[in-house]
Amino acid sequence: MNDKEQQEYLQEYKKEKEKGVPFFPDILFKDALVSLLVFIVLVALAYFLGAPLEEKANPANTSYTPRPEWYFLFLFQLLKYFPGELEFLGVIVLPMVALLLLFILPLLDRSPKRHFLDRLLFTIPTTAIIAGIVVLTYLSVREAPPPAETNEGDPIASLYANNCSACHGASIEVKSGVNLHNIIAQGNHDGMPAWSADLTSDQIDALAGFITSPGGSQLFNQNCSSCHSVEALVEGSPMDLKQALENGAAFKPHAGVQTVDWNTSLTLENRTSLLNFLVAPDGQRLFDANCLTCHGNSVAYSGTEEELRQVISQGGKHLDMPGWKEQLTSEQLDLLSRFVVDPEAESQSQTLFQQQCGSCHGQNIPQADSIEGARQIIESGGPHRTMPVWGDVLTTEQLDALVSYTRQSTDGNSVAVGQGLFSQYCATCHGGLGEGGPNPTKPGDVIAPISSAEYLKTRDDITLRLIISQGQPNFGMSPFGTSNGGPLQDEDIDVIVKFIRSWEARPPVELPPEVSVAVVNEKPAQLYISVCAQCHGLAGEGGVGPSFQSIDFQGLQTDQQIYNSINSGHGSTAMIGWGDILSADQITQLVKLIRSFQLTATGPGSVPSFSKDVLPIFNARCGACHGTLGGWDASDYASSMETGDNAPVILSRDPGGSLLVQKLLGIQTIGGSMPPGKLLTQKEIDLIVAWVKAGAPDN
Amino acid sequence: MLNRFSNWLDARTGWRNIWEGIFLRKVPKVNWLYTLGSASLFIVVNQVVTGILLTIYYVPNPDHAYDSVQYITTQVALGWLIRGLHHWGASAMVVLVFLHMLRVIFLGSYKFPREVTWFSGVVLFLVTIGFGFTGYLLPWDEKAYWATTVGTQIAGTPPVIGDVALRILRGGEDLTAMTLVRFFGMHVWVLPAILLSLVGLHVYLVIKHGISTTPKRGEIKHE
Repeated sequence: MNDKEQQEYLQEYKKEKEKGVPFFPDILFKDALVSLLVFIVLVALAYFLGAPLEEKANPANTSYTPRPEWYFLFLFQLLKYFPGELEFLGVIVLPMVALLLLFILPLLDRSPKRHFLDRLLFTIPTTAIIAGIVVLTYLSVREAPPPAETNEGDPIASLYANNCSACHGASIEVKSGVNLHNIIAQGNHDGMPAWSADLTSDQIDALAGFITSPGGSQLFNQNCSSCHSVEALVEGSPMDLKQALENGAAFKPHAGVQTVDWNTSLTLENRTSLLNFLVAPDGQRLFDANCLTCHGNSVAYSGTEEELRQVISQGGKHLDMPGWKEQLTSEQLDLLSRFVVDPEAESQSQTLFQQQCGSCHGQNIPQADSIEGARQIIESGGPHRTMPVWGDVLTTEQLDALVSYTRQSTDGNSVAVGQGLFSQYCATCHGGLGEGGPNPTKPGDVIAPISSAEYLKTRDDITLRLIISQGQPNFGMSPFGTSNGGPLQDEDIDVIVKFIRSWEARPPVELPPEVSVAVVNEKPAQLYISVCAQCHGLAGEGGVGPSFQSIDFQGLQTDQQIYNSINSGHGSTAMIGWGDILSADQITQLVKLIRSFQLTATGPGSVPSFSKDVLPIFNARCGACHGTLGGWDASDYASSMETGDNAPVILSRDPGGSLLVQKLLGIQTIGGSMPPGKLLTQKEIDLIVAWVKAGAPDN
Repeated sequence: MLNRFSNWLDARTGWRNIWEGIFLRKVPKVNWLYTLGSASLFIVVNQVVTGILLTIYYVPNPDHAYDSVQYITTQVALGWLIRGLHHWGASAMVVLVFLHMLRVIFLGSYKFPREVTWFSGVVLFLVTIGFGFTGYLLPWDEKAYWATTVGTQIAGTPPVIGDVALRILRGGEDLTAMTLVRFFGMHVWVLPAILLSLVGLHVYLVIKHGISTTPKRGEIKHE
């Protein structure tokens, strides 16, 4: 609007004004009339409806459904479309922008035109926004109806309406793999309270089921609710539910009750959503119900998620059932077969079943059709399907939840693994609870507790890892990391550190224990036990360190060399120098003691036999892969000596140069050590080395 | 006698000028939609009067707020009417102010020379919303408490400043007595002060520029 247009407007307005009416009484009369009308309406509302006042505010009552004043409802509804991170966008940014635009409206719309049809650019968006507000308000009123009115007769739906719908609306979309039970129980993002205090675990499960399968709730009410309560069924096993649905009247607990065949009365979709409703995709509960019997509290599964999903959904043939024919009497086999076919009639055989089969089958009695068939399976054993094909039983959502739970719990279980490793490697010196004690390597020294709050607070994880990996040779702690010649992989050290960290929450030890200082071990046998046996074995059979019984060790080492090893250690291995800790006299005595182990060992000259000693090891530990599939073939002498991609792998009288020995010792840098997974024991390796050294004879 | 008195008063206050300037001035003929503004003003008066009456009995403290509101509703003579008028007046005010704003938008009344009137009007709208939000908590019943909990949480959503904003709004981490006193202070002191000054400005501008005319379809004539 330029100056001219402004002047024109003012003149135009002046003319209108002159044609107009006086403010009093004409205009004021209309105003007063409308105001009076408004007032009458207000009085009427106050009289007939009154001003509502609910119960006094109770900050502890988390079950209250908060509803904003009606004119904020549209904003409240808008919020639901901006989940999580985007929330801020929906509730702050969007209204702010809208308000700003509203404020500067006269600056945007500056044309002299005033009629709304001449300004569609502004009146249409305004209309759209108003329509949006009306629709959102309507949706909000409709989506979260007062629970008491609409959901009578469906306890879980009203549970939902009471607790969830205020913020989440009529339904919640749940991503696969989400542990809904945990989220409900513990609360989640800002503003979502933990419900565990207000709802029972079964109620939470039922809610989780309702959220993922709201249709199931309805189906339940139509088909099951006259006999069952949701909470009671939710507690049960998914397998039972599945069977009940599939077998209809044939389902045993339903015998005697008039039930319809769910298979025909419900579609597959309906059965699935009913099952989803009752067995909410809640990993932990699914795991407890389905896997606990065989796998315990958690499965240490290290593969990828995809592999795990396959294992679960396709079942496994990974466990072989032994053939029982040789191990049980014919009578016992009969008893077992009959028990399997009809557990109730043969209840006296239950003890037998638990003794013989319970360790794998747990409480789940395998089902068999006929006694003959059952007996055949028990007799022959074999790779029958041991792990059920869960893909047939569980829905996709449930599989997702189970997979993600299994993976999570594996991760969460590392503390337990760490504890095992700790008690194996560390507890000798540090005590099972890290309380410390007399230092076995340094007479008169006391190892301070490593589980006190003070110790844990002043060492970070990196420091702890370094100490374990590199040891503290000055204090008699040898290095434990593989990179420093010790027995522990980096991952092992990580879980040990994790275990040590787990003390931090509640340190088992506050003060160094009052320990009587250890007496100096004068006798070499005691000295050996406290200083060397940890790594070399009580009888010198070896372990982390080399075996003293082996021909290799005894034959090649002179007394002086052994003395030197003890005195100065081997820099690159876990063997620390004991010269600072033990006296020369003690070391000499130790050397003598170590020499004595030779007497008990395989005497020199007795060469290990290929067929009796070596081949069994090959068969047991190598044969699975190194059979006739190509590559090195370890099935007999000739092929062992001649085959392989890098043949020959065994060089007569040269263990160090033999690829086989390098692989067994893990000193071959290309490719991994063999066998993958668990290495051979020191004794087995020594045996093979001795055999190679003796010329790898075919004896 | 009456004439003599009015002359006497006029010589001392000049009320005739004001009367003629405001009430006898001529204004363009307009339709019923133009009464929405004055109706909003009426509601403001209604809220001020009933609000003042409510403060006589209301106690802004979690221990007594609820009881005092209950006392007003059940014991005080005409207390139910006063509270009812205030309660429904709040909703009516939001409705009327909003409709008034729509009228102004659709009839293009915010244009020259009434831009400042519009600005003050938008702020008045926000103040109205603020009244609604702060007043909602005061009865300290379940609805008040939980709706305000959820409402103030929104202030906590923006990154960085969210926490501080939430704390300022609530006077601490949680919704407590601090929040109630804070909201009460806003509702009876801060917002009314802003509201009344802006209403003064708004009404003054309306009188100064005169009520806008109903626009006609088509181009402005150029002479």
